Amino acid sequence: MERSPERSFWHRIQQIPRHYVYLLLAGVVVWQLLFPIRLPVVPSSATKGVYDAIAAVPDDKLVVISTDWDASTEAETAPQTQAVMHACFQHGKRFAIMNLQPPMGVKLANDLAEEAAREYGAEYGIDWCNWGYKYGYENVLMALGKNIPKAIGDDFYGRPVTELPMMEGVEDIEGVGLVVIVTGLSAMTEMWIGLIQGPYGTPLATAYTAVMAPIYYPYLDSGQMKGMLVGAKGAAELEALVDRPGKASAIMNVQSWAHVLIIALIVLGNLGYLFARGRRGERAS
Amino acid sequence: MNPDVYVLWAAAIATLGVYTILHRENPISRLFEHIFVGLSAGYLLVATWTLNLEGKWWAPMIHERRWYWIFAPIVGFLFYFIYSRRLTWLARLVMGLFIGAASGTFFRQFFPLFAPQVTASFKSVRAQAGMNLQEFFFSVVLQNWLFVIILLTVLSYFFFSVPHEGRFGRNLGRASLVGRWFLMIAFGAMFGNTVMARLSLFIGRMSFLLHDWLGSLLPWFGQHGL
Repeated sequence: MERSPERSFWHRIQQIPRHYVYLLLAGVVVWQLLFPIRLPVVPSSATKGVYDAIAAVPDDKLVVISTDWDASTEAETAPQTQAVMHACFQHGKRFAIMNLQPPMGVKLANDLAEEAAREYGAEYGIDWCNWGYKYGYENVLMALGKNIPKAIGDDFYGRPVTELPMMEGVEDIEGVGLVVIVTGLSAMTEMWIGLIQGPYGTPLATAYTAVMAPIYYPYLDSGQMKGMLVGAKGAAELEALVDRPGKASAIMNVQSWAHVLIIALIVLGNLGYLFARGRRGERAS
Repeated sequence: MNPDVYVLWAAAIATLGVYTILHRENPISRLFEHIFVGLSAGYLLVATWTLNLEGKWWAPMIHERRWYWIFAPIVGFLFYFIYSRRLTWLARLVMGLFIGAASGTFFRQFFPLFAPQVTASFKSVRAQAGMNLQEFFFSVVLQNWLFVIILLTVLSYFFFSVPHEGRFGRNLGRASLVGRWFLMIAFGAMFGNTVMARLSLFIGRMSFLLHDWLGSLLPWFGQHGL
C-alpha cells in the first residue's frame, strides 16, 4: 500500500514538532558547554577598530563607557563591557562608567569593573570611576559636552565627581578621549553621534547586541564610529585581542555548533520541500 | 546560609519558570514574566530617585533652599490634565513645550548624524594611480562599485514618482527589482544576526543553569567546559 503524500518522509521533515527542535538545540548547547570543541576566533576589522581606538586614547584623557544595558541582554553586553574594561586596564587608560538607560546597567557594569580592577590592582577614583545613572537622555549629553562635573554631579556612591582624583582637569568633553557605548537600545547611538561625536569630534566606538548591529554598519563605513563589537561574537573577538578568553569566547564556541544544527535543519526542511514537491509533480503528471 | 545561595536559586527557578513557555503559554511563565517586569519597574523608580532626583532636585530644594525647584513637578503634573475635558489645554501647553524641545534637539542632531554618511557614499569608481589589476578588482570593483550599485538600485526601489513604463520607467523598474533583491539579502543578514543574538541569550542562561546553579550542587558541572 502506498503512503499518502502527507505521511511521506519528505513531508514529515518539513513539519518536525518544535519541541524536538528545542530539545535538539538544548542538547547541542549542553554538550558544547560541558565538552567544548574549541574553534578559533579571528578578530574582525570592526573589533580591531575598538581595540585600536582604546589604545590611541591620550593618557591625559578619559574613556567614557556608556553601559546602556540590563539583565535582558546581559549574555552579550556583559562580556562586551568586560572586554572593553580589560582593554582599558591593559593600556593604562582611565575610564568612567555611565548609564543613560536602563538604570540596572550601571550596577551590573560596576560589578564587572570591580572584578576587573581587582585583577589589575586598579583603584576606584584613580583608574576608574562610576558616574552612575543619569536620567534625561539628550539633556545629559548636551550638558556633558559643556561641563562634565556639573552634568554628572555625584558618582554612583553619592560622592561629588570633583572629589575623584582622576577627574582633575576634566572640565568638559575635551577631557574625554573616547566614548564606548555598550547598548541593547537603538536610540543611544544617534544621540551620542548627533550631540557629542559630530559637534565635538570625540571619537566613538560601540558595542551592540547582534540584533541591532546591522543597521549601524553605515556609521562605521562613514568613519563616525572607530569600531564596533557585534554581539557575543564581537566580545569574543575583543577577548582574543586582550588575550583573556572569557564568557563570550565560551558562548561563541557553543553558538557555532548551534548554528551548524540550525543550518542543517533549514537544509533538511528545504530538501523536504523540494522532494515533496517533486513527488507531487510526478503524481500529477 | 550565604544569601548568595538564595539569589542563585531564585534566579535558577525564575529562568526555568520563564522557559516553561517553550511548551505552551502557562501561568508559571506568566508569573515570572510579571515578576521580572515588576522588578525592573521598581528598580527604575528607586534608581531615578536615589541617583537623580534626590541629588539634583530634592537636596537643592530642601537643603540649599532653592525653593523654585518646586515648580518642576507642578509643570510635570500638568500632563495629567489630559484626562480633563475642560482643562486639557493645560496638558497641551506642557506637551507643546516638550515637543518643541525634542524637535529642536533632533534638528541639532540631524546634520552631524546624516551628513557624514552622504559624503561617505561618494566613492571613487576609478583606478588610482599605481594600482595593479588585482588591487583594482578587490579594492575598487568589489567594494566601491558594489557599494554604488547597491546604493542606486536600493534608492530606485523607493522612488515611486515615475510609473514603470516607457524606456526610462522600464529601466527604473529593473533597477528597483535588483534593489529589492539587495534589500532581501540585507534582511536575511539581519535575521541571521537576530538568531545569533537570541541564541547568545539562551546560551548565557544555559551556562548559568549548568555552571553556576548545578555547579553549586554538583561540582562536576562547575568544572567542565569553562
